[in-house]
Amino acid sequence: MRVLLVEDEKKTAAFVRKALQAEGFAVDVCHNGEEAWAAALTTPFDAMVLDIMLPGRDGLSLLRQLRERGIATPVLLLSARGEVNERVDGLNAGADDYLPKPFVLAELVARVRALGRRGGESKPAVLQVADLRLDTQTRRAERRNVVIELTAREYRLLEFLMRSAGHICGRMAILEKVWDYSFDPGSNLVDVNVMRLREKIDADFEPKLLHTVRGLGYVIKEPS
Amino acid sequence: MTIRTRLTLWNASLLLVALVATGALACYELVIEPRSQTRGAQAAGKSRQEPAPTDLVEIGMFCSIVPVVALALAGGWWVMRRTIAPVTALTQAAEQMNEHNLGAPLARTGSGDELDRLTEVFNAMTARLDSAFTRQREFTLHASHELKTPLTVMHGELENWLRDGGLAAEQRERLESQLDEVQRLAKIVDSLTLLTKADAGQVVLGREAVRLDELLREALADAESLGRPAGVTASLGVCDEVTILGDRHRLRQLLLNLCDNAVKYNQPGGKVTLNLHRAGARAQVRISNTGPGIPADVLPKVFDPFFRGDASHSQAVEGCGLGLSIARWIVSAHGGTIWIASEPGGLTTAIVGLPAAMNPNQHA
Repeated sequence: MRVLLVEDEKKTAAFVRKALQAEGFAVDVCHNGEEAWAAALTTPFDAMVLDIMLPGRDGLSLLRQLRERGIATPVLLLSARGEVNERVDGLNAGADDYLPKPFVLAELVARVRALGRRGGESKPAVLQVADLRLDTQTRRAERRNVVIELTAREYRLLEFLMRSAGHICGRMAILEKVWDYSFDPGSNLVDVNVMRLREKIDADFEPKLLHTVRGLGYVIKEPS
Repeated sequence: MTIRTRLTLWNASLLLVALVATGALACYELVIEPRSQTRGAQAAGKSRQEPAPTDLVEIGMFCSIVPVVALALAGGWWVMRRTIAPVTALTQAAEQMNEHNLGAPLARTGSGDELDRLTEVFNAMTARLDSAFTRQREFTLHASHELKTPLTVMHGELENWLRDGGLAAEQRERLESQLDEVQRLAKIVDSLTLLTKADAGQVVLGREAVRLDELLREALADAESLGRPAGVTASLGVCDEVTILGDRHRLRQLLLNLCDNAVKYNQPGGKVTLNLHRAGARAQVRISNTGPGIPADVLPKVFDPFFRGDASHSQAVEGCGLGLSIARWIVSAHGGTIWIASEPGGLTTAIVGLPAAMNPNQHA
């Protein structure tokens, strides 16, 4: 997967590039809007990470022009302004996702991965990690044939974690997908719900599947 | 014309009128009357029995006292009223002035008198205050914006280090602890940016019909999960059906915030109760907890940014100290009121009053 990273702040560009490369992506970096415009016109990228504030041509107008040219590369917008309305503006301009700075790097990587996957894979109806099964049609969760009772919120949380099995899910992504918040409402809601979910799916079973990645988020994975 | 000149001229003209009147009467008494009497004596002499004109003048003088005094009073009142009107306007305008409308100058009379000059000085003063407030807001916005880039870099570098591995357990622990602190700082910067923007009126809120009772039920589920680790139970009391016009996500944040506080400042095994009443055009949300209570002298300060109550709390309770400030902003942006009532050792209740939308059923 080839990713175009457009970020004028050199240090930020450097560590984001490093993290994306570690994930196995090929990364091209541009430091201003003009370079990015030229690169996007000549090379087909699978995904694009675009900072809104750029010298010269800014991220939003660059994005609009790309869409006018019919270039449909999925775009993740980054912004340090963090205005709630900016997110809406970005999505209206044709962005696929939006992440305010400062962000959790693991969160950015997960979102870029999701952009690359977009439309590619069909969503399976039954999710399985080790002996934990979740049927998304009957909304039934079971582990080793023992049915696990879940609240509506816990079900959404488990579905989201299992759909991204093996990858870290950041708090922000969980708030967005499970609680439908586009900003951090300032509460440890995610943590207490994950704790509760862990009691239900892991307490009486081995091996443990739901893990905390300190400072970054949570992951469901089979022990390797 | 200055007020001093105006009052001086008014008094001088009254004095002048009085002097002219007195002069005219004196002239009549002393010059014209004796002369006509002489002329009358030189003539036939029949008119001697007629009443003397002196009496008529005296009657006239006495009769004119009342109208003259009334005229002077009315004129004085009119002059003072015209003079005082700008003072009244100025007082009203100053009363209505707050940090958000400092930029709007008061209308001037343009007469160039002392009060017009006062209005001018007042306008200049509020303009200076306005620019001081604006500078302070812009400073906070720029500062929080500038802090975001280094925070992003620090966070990213720490994450890369941790991911690269090859770290001893102790090193790992240190880096993770750094990561926690960077995130805490990021949260503070985020909330500060939000509050500053809200203060400057730069945050646009949605305005859709929102079922407040549904949001409260959702908040109840959140309060239950937040309270479980501390053994705090949440329950729903009255929950009237209420629709209000507002921003769904900010209202959810408000309720979550208040529930979060009700759990945090509770005691182990305590209770949180949620209520929603509708009274006419007002909706009232009450979220109570069985915590130790808030002393009366502290109550007015709980909505101030970074206020944490007594020092023993600030260690035990996590959070950045901006939650209630954000809650107050959300409530006032919806045209509502928020306050906290606390009985020592009894219930502490956050009370939110919001304007309810017209019930569509009642409307039809």
